[in-house]
Amino acid sequence: MEWWIWPIALFALTFLMGIVAVLAGVGGGVLFVPIVGAFFPFHLDFVRAAGLMIALTSALSAAPSLLANGLASLRLALPLALVGSVTSVLGALIGLALPTDVVQIALGLTILAIALLMWRAGRADHPEVAHPDALGAALGMHGVYHDAALRRDVAWQVHRTPVALFVFGGIGLLAGMFGLGAGWANVPALNLLMGAPLKLAVGTSGFVLSVVDTSAAWVYLNRGAVLPMIVVPSLIGVILGAKIGARLLRITPSHVVKKIVLTVLVVAGGRALLKGLGI
Amino acid sequence: MNVQIVYARWLDIGTRIGFAVLVATFGVYVFGLLEPLVPLHDLPRLWTLPADRYVAASGAPTGWGWLGFLGRGDYLNVLGVALLATITLVCYARIVPLLPRVQAVLAAIQIAILLGAAFL
Repeated sequence: MEWWIWPIALFALTFLMGIVAVLAGVGGGVLFVPIVGAFFPFHLDFVRAAGLMIALTSALSAAPSLLANGLASLRLALPLALVGSVTSVLGALIGLALPTDVVQIALGLTILAIALLMWRAGRADHPEVAHPDALGAALGMHGVYHDAALRRDVAWQVHRTPVALFVFGGIGLLAGMFGLGAGWANVPALNLLMGAPLKLAVGTSGFVLSVVDTSAAWVYLNRGAVLPMIVVPSLIGVILGAKIGARLLRITPSHVVKKIVLTVLVVAGGRALLKGLGI
Repeated sequence: MNVQIVYARWLDIGTRIGFAVLVATFGVYVFGLLEPLVPLHDLPRLWTLPADRYVAASGAPTGWGWLGFLGRGDYLNVLGVALLATITLVCYARIVPLLPRVQAVLAAIQIAILLGAAFL
């Protein structure tokens, strides 16, 4: 098959992916890696690197307005991003060193676990944090943000910081190893585990992602795993698709889209698992 | 001065520049304005290989070796990727002097980690 068919196919697929990702409230990377890894001829090393670049660029694009509007908190993000970036580098190194079938199996299991998490995880708009923990307080992980919907300032603080640092270490490892982005795990960890308000958790997750993915991206770049012919059409497709998705957001029932995304993740995760097992 | 606003402003400018360079240099690459190191028609054979075997089979550079191939369409395009991967480091360096002590230390360690990753 001619080379040029693949970037065009990638662009078309990632354009659709960008639309669906916004409607379902997930990052592009978490859809890109399992789907492209399962149905395109590229080696998983290049797919993971491209997935990481998609997640990174999306996070970099979103972070300025989130930070400027106070919906992402540097204070909250700095320690978590630090731990996550160390482990994402380790994850990238491990992922590139392991045999492909082992990575495929681990990827399949991870995608199926993400689908389960997305299906089951609850959310709390303003979780109650009666007593902030000592570490969180020492690191200055508290503040106030303006909630435009409530038309008031909301004070926030966090708890369980030591556990959260451990969890973000694990999330970083998976993000670096599979190039998945990590919003699917960052948001529940910030919101349900640490007690950050949901809007702040979503915004801060994007910022943490931009730092964690940057670290892992260098590993892939230095190992020659970043192929522009895969990365750039995918990036443009996801970004343009996300713009259309944002326009459709008001008129599309998100629960229907979310069910479709869950189904796609189960199919793609199952296929990755079977591919890794040689079935 | 609000540290978040400063970070946001620098990040916004850097991302726009990085993305513009990425798209423009992709045009140079895909329309053949500069000859690529790895011929386009060889890609379907090579991108099925793991990264280390791709590098061995194509003679592609690793580490910062791509800087020596900026005259080639495919590695000129990598410049855009590298710019996007550098922005966070620059933003952190910009805000370190503005942060309270504990957070400044965290940000400085983060810079060291990003530099370490870039030169691994």
